[in-house]
Amino acid sequence: MAVCVAVIGKDNSPLYIGGIGNDTSTDNELSRQWLVHTALDALEERLATTNSNNATASANAARTDLRDLYLGLLYSTDTHKIYGYVTNTKIKLVLVTSSTSPSGSNIRDAEVRTALRRLHALYADAICNPFHLPGDQIISQKFDRQVKSLMVNNV
Amino acid sequence: MRSSVSYILSHAPGESVMSHPDYAQHAQHHACVLVLVKGIGGVLKNFNKLWERIQRVNNIKVTDSSGQVRDIWVRYVRDYPVENNDWGDFQTHRRLLGLITLSKFTNQIELNEVCRVHESLKVKYSNTLYDSRAFMFGPGSNLKKPQQEPETYNTYDDDKLKERTSLSDKISLPSDQADSLSSTESFPRSISSNASYSVQEDNFTTPSNFKTHALFYGENDAVPDLEQHVADLINSLFWVVESKRLERSREKLEKVSLLLAPFEKRDFVGLDMESRNNKKRCMGRVTKNLADLTLQAGLVAEALSLYHSSAEILKSVNDWLWLAAAKEGHCATSAILQYPNLRNPTPLQRNASLQESSPSKIKPLSLYQPNTDPFRKFKLHSSPLRSSKTSSPVNPPSELTPSSSDSVETSSRQSETDNADTESLASSSDIDYQSQKSYLSPDLPSIPRQPPSHINNQYLLGGEEIAEKYRKAIIHYSKYQNAGIIETEACFKAARIAVEQNNSLHASSFLQNVIFINLTLSEQEKIQRFDTLAELYKEIGFLRKAAFCQRLAATRQVSANNPNPDWQRCYYLMLHSFPGHKLSLDPNYVIQHQVGWPALQIQLLHELVVAARRMGHPALATRHMTFLLQTMWPHLSRQEHRDLAIQLQALSAQCEGGPVPLVLETGEVIPPANLTHVPSCTYFNPRQLAPARTPHLIKCKANQGPFIFTPIHFGSLERKNKKDEGKMEYLWVEDDICEVQMKLTNPLPFELKVSNMRLLTSGVVFESIPETIILPPDSPTTVNLHGTPKEVGELQILGYSTHTLGVKSNCRLKNMPMPHKFPASFLIQVIPSLPTITIETTLSLSGNINISNPEISGNITNISLYNGESTECTITITNTSNVPIEYLELSIQSNMDNQLQSKVFQWSNEDIQSQLPINAGDVATIVMKLYGEADFLDLGGVGENLFPNSLTSNYPSRVGSPIPNAQTSLPTHSSNPQNSLSSGFIMNRTSGSFRSSNSQTTSWSAPISIMPPSRGRQIETQIVIRYSGGAGREMHCRQTTLQMNLELLPSVSITHWDVLPAEIPSQLYLVLDITNLTNEEMDFHYTPSKHILIEGKESRRVPVPLDRCPFTITIPKNEDDSMEPKSISTGTSTNSLELMCSEHLTKNVDLRWHLLQSNITGRASVKGITLSQTMMDIVRMSPLNWEVSVNKQCIKPQEEYNCMAGECLSLGVAVWNHLSRPLHKLCLSVQFYQDYNNGVLNYKLDNRVATAGNNKVVLTTLLEAAKAYHECTVVFLTPGEYKIDIQCSTTEPIIDEIPAIKDVNQTIVQSCAGEVSHVWRFIPPVAISVTD
Repeated sequence: MAVCVAVIGKDNSPLYIGGIGNDTSTDNELSRQWLVHTALDALEERLATTNSNNATASANAARTDLRDLYLGLLYSTDTHKIYGYVTNTKIKLVLVTSSTSPSGSNIRDAEVRTALRRLHALYADAICNPFHLPGDQIISQKFDRQVKSLMVNNV
Repeated sequence: MRSSVSYILSHAPGESVMSHPDYAQHAQHHACVLVLVKGIGGVLKNFNKLWERIQRVNNIKVTDSSGQVRDIWVRYVRDYPVENNDWGDFQTHRRLLGLITLSKFTNQIELNEVCRVHESLKVKYSNTLYDSRAFMFGPGSNLKKPQQEPETYNTYDDDKLKERTSLSDKISLPSDQADSLSSTESFPRSISSNASYSVQEDNFTTPSNFKTHALFYGENDAVPDLEQHVADLINSLFWVVESKRLERSREKLEKVSLLLAPFEKRDFVGLDMESRNNKKRCMGRVTKNLADLTLQAGLVAEALSLYHSSAEILKSVNDWLWLAAAKEGHCATSAILQYPNLRNPTPLQRNASLQESSPSKIKPLSLYQPNTDPFRKFKLHSSPLRSSKTSSPVNPPSELTPSSSDSVETSSRQSETDNADTESLASSSDIDYQSQKSYLSPDLPSIPRQPPSHINNQYLLGGEEIAEKYRKAIIHYSKYQNAGIIETEACFKAARIAVEQNNSLHASSFLQNVIFINLTLSEQEKIQRFDTLAELYKEIGFLRKAAFCQRLAATRQVSANNPNPDWQRCYYLMLHSFPGHKLSLDPNYVIQHQVGWPALQIQLLHELVVAARRMGHPALATRHMTFLLQTMWPHLSRQEHRDLAIQLQALSAQCEGGPVPLVLETGEVIPPANLTHVPSCTYFNPRQLAPARTPHLIKCKANQGPFIFTPIHFGSLERKNKKDEGKMEYLWVEDDICEVQMKLTNPLPFELKVSNMRLLTSGVVFESIPETIILPPDSPTTVNLHGTPKEVGELQILGYSTHTLGVKSNCRLKNMPMPHKFPASFLIQVIPSLPTITIETTLSLSGNINISNPEISGNITNISLYNGESTECTITITNTSNVPIEYLELSIQSNMDNQLQSKVFQWSNEDIQSQLPINAGDVATIVMKLYGEADFLDLGGVGENLFPNSLTSNYPSRVGSPIPNAQTSLPTHSSNPQNSLSSGFIMNRTSGSFRSSNSQTTSWSAPISIMPPSRGRQIETQIVIRYSGGAGREMHCRQTTLQMNLELLPSVSITHWDVLPAEIPSQLYLVLDITNLTNEEMDFHYTPSKHILIEGKESRRVPVPLDRCPFTITIPKNEDDSMEPKSISTGTSTNSLELMCSEHLTKNVDLRWHLLQSNITGRASVKGITLSQTMMDIVRMSPLNWEVSVNKQCIKPQEEYNCMAGECLSLGVAVWNHLSRPLHKLCLSVQFYQDYNNGVLNYKLDNRVATAGNNKVVLTTLLEAAKAYHECTVVFLTPGEYKIDIQCSTTEPIIDEIPAIKDVNQTIVQSCAGEVSHVWRFIPPVAISVTD
């Protein structure tokens, strides 16, 4: 099951980190942040390689076939798996699943993919708020609620 | 990557699980010969240097028996766990082949100990060790020389012998453990004979059981032949490896024994060793082993094919572990060939370092060569001899043969190897020369290293293939729990190759795999694992990952499980993870960029503080805490602010934080962190000096243009703005206290004490005065910081320093947090010091009352003066500075106009200048005369009503003062309510009053008591004293203002005036109504001899006898008189004559008053008096001089002539023109009339008087100074009192006259044909009394 969802801006600053867990202590919160933060390296690397591949392979036809936004498993630890998703505006969506829980151990890639797509949609909705400044932290309670329910229900 | 079938084949942990991972391993180490370098005995002070020198000898070239040049690589380690040695069969590069000890001894006991340790090390690694060297450093260098000669012999013999012994070792090794043990026992024994006499010293002898090739040096010797000896060792090791390789390659594949990994031993118990499968297994493993040896022996290409074939064989028998090893070997070999750079870094470094210091490095070599060359030759020549001699006691071949499996071949092989050895020795010496050459020309070795043929090998793997194969190998390894360490190492090796390939994702996946390998490791090794991971992550640019690993390592370092926590290493690990968290050590950088994840950064900094504290470096703890508070301020909550501040306070109690960089032992510099948030500054501005001390320019600059303000800036707008930012337009003065105002807020919820606040400046020397303040929470407090510039020039104010929470901070304006935008610095010009003064004023009022009011400069002096009173004010100036006053100037600013001002205030400039310079502490006095200048002419309340001050007066201060206007005086006698009508109307109406001067007198009846109470006048004056001195006196001065409030009280006023002709024609009376406006009795002197007493608020009329105004007073005099503008303002009767008359009166009337009670004297004047035309004619001397005679008898004034009725009188009138010009059309008329003395004049005397001759004559021209005479005869018919009015009128104006006057005159003299403009009368009229 998903334990944490993070939205990261194009300058790699955290925009939103939401997690569900048994305990909501700061320790837990911190460990989530570590997880997501360390995933950024792999994420960036993957972005860089896909970009360069696109550029070299098909210079003129590259525009037509869109890169898949879903990046797949970024890395995994003993207890968690971290999946990445990058929007076309370089907003990074990171989903952390727990591999220790029974439901999370055999999660399917397609499930994560759909979950991240839905998260993307939620994010798009959230920043449609005219009072939201792009680049600011997302403090919308509605977004938070929706993301939490997404984590509980879909993944 | 990790196989899902992991642990399937794994067993319970065996007895010899390799438990010490070597994280530093690289793929290229598969091809290296492992040599242990150990320092034993006393601490060698140049051990590290020697270690570096040894490490440089990591590659030597050996020409083998077939003439091929072999590239031998060496890996030196400082420590090697003996357990890992057991894996030598599995991967031969894990075998420790050589031993070098560096030892120090000072006496025999130590030497014995050193020898013992060396031998015990040999025993420890006896399984694999082929050769060893002991470098011994004794006390003093003197024992080197006598030592060396026999030593060289020994070296040679040793070499030779050792090779043989090692050969025997080699041969015995494959058999089994017991055998090899026995052989190793024999190995030292064989040497013993040589070693025993090798140590020939004066004092020291090595123990008998020390059987090693030992080299003795003095402790401080340069050890020039170190490299040579190490190369010798390598050379000998190569030959052992080579022989083993050859031996292995010649083995019959059917007969080979099964090679085992340490944990496998138990697995094969009871298995059918003869099965086909097992045979294949043996074959595969042996082939793999051979491949390892081949690789180590420098035959890389061959190794490649051997690995390939072994992998094929092992795959067929599902020997996963060995298959993995074969694959890994294959990958490593390919990588070595593909990426020679993997190996190069170290040799390149070596070469580079040699090149850098080539002159110094080469010289010792060249010096050393001539010495060695003869030795070499000697060695070569003597070698057969020596060998035969030394080997004679113990015959090596006999010893070498004992229990080898294939003893049949040994002898032959032995002979071969013997041959080979001699060859090898020759070749090795060759190689030595080669290597020496390579020192000189470092490019050389790289050429034979990779022949192009190697790269085109069919089994050579490509970049992707290497990664893929490695991945497979790792998966195979993962099936064995006991091979965990091998797997871990393989992961690291693979990652390193991936790094070389620049494939970060591969590298990261390999590294990621490391995490999953479940190993029972000691804490230290776990930390090392993370450390290495971090290192590699850093290399592929995964800084965050690296930081994460470093942090994990750091936490492990001090975790509860760790028996001996090392806070220092924890601290450094944390510190080095800064880049990964996007933190910089420089707080300003962090604040400006604000990148990274604040939550993580805060956590890290917290931990860093703890680590710094625990490792016993409180200064660092304080610094980092300050850093945390400063940089993470916006991300912390209020509560956290408070907590952190309290923590900081506690930390700084141990060690105060200061704004100096801290240097760590590693050489890293921790820049200072300054608290700019506590307290936060919202306003910072240097202030101008106090007004009294502000410097002014002595000479005002001429205005640049006609515009005071222009919106147009010439030149570029932006540049000018930029340049002027922070540049202050005012000046500070050297040695004078200056002030900067700032507003501080304490953001913490408790009272904050900020001590030692100072200004940070650059430029001129500035002495800042420390300030201590206590800030209450959350309320902005204004603080002034003071200081004194000590030099002249530009002062730059950069910020301020604080000391709060135990931390000293230098808060620079340019680094201030964003919301408040300050200029980077304030620039202020400091000018040379100027003097300062204090001022006292002393008043001496006339009379008894002396008011002395010592007052500080700038204060207010209040003075009351009666109008016309004068007094003196003494201004005392004291120079309170050290600078003499060399320039002093007094000026006055007031609400009066300049002329009045100069009358009220009078002082002598010369007197002031004569007192200069005023030295420090000296006093100067300035005497200023004050005079109550006033207008004494008062016309009662009327004037005020009719003409408001502003319209009629130039005196701005004439509040309530009378308006000296003759015209306005006219309505006073008539209580006509219409007097506020237009002036033209007034003139018409009042024209009658001018008909005769008498009419004026009627107005006297008006009661004086109705005069309005005259009020005092307030004059506010500022006496500006500008002074300067010292170096800056040319340009600047200071200015002190003395406020003086002058109250002018009314004393007397002249309410009405008139002129009366006096008894003598040359005189007149000025009749004045004097009102005493004071409450006291006044003694009024109106002539020097006459005086009158006037009660308070009473009024008196006094006649002032005066001479008439002579004609000779020239008109130009009037021009510059103050009367001029006034007369213009009156508007109607302006002419210079009037001014002249007025002036005349003013000058000659001397009025003095004396208040009896308060003993105040003063003067009064009739200045500004205005006169009507008629009055003027009286005042002025007539232009015509009359001489009237009756019956040729001159008539004297006031004389009455008597005659009889009917008597004929002859009236003669002579007229002189006293004017300076001729008069034209002069009409002289004689008229008779009777004065009834009741105001009625009867001119109708038709039947009473008869005249003969003209009573009216017209004189066309009367030249100047000419005389005209007219005579007529008159007969009075009836008795009575008659008067003769003799007058002379002119039709042409004397001076330009306004038509209005003409009108007046016309009405007076009707008979003259309307052109009469001026009339002079003979005064008084001739009176004749006619009797019967």
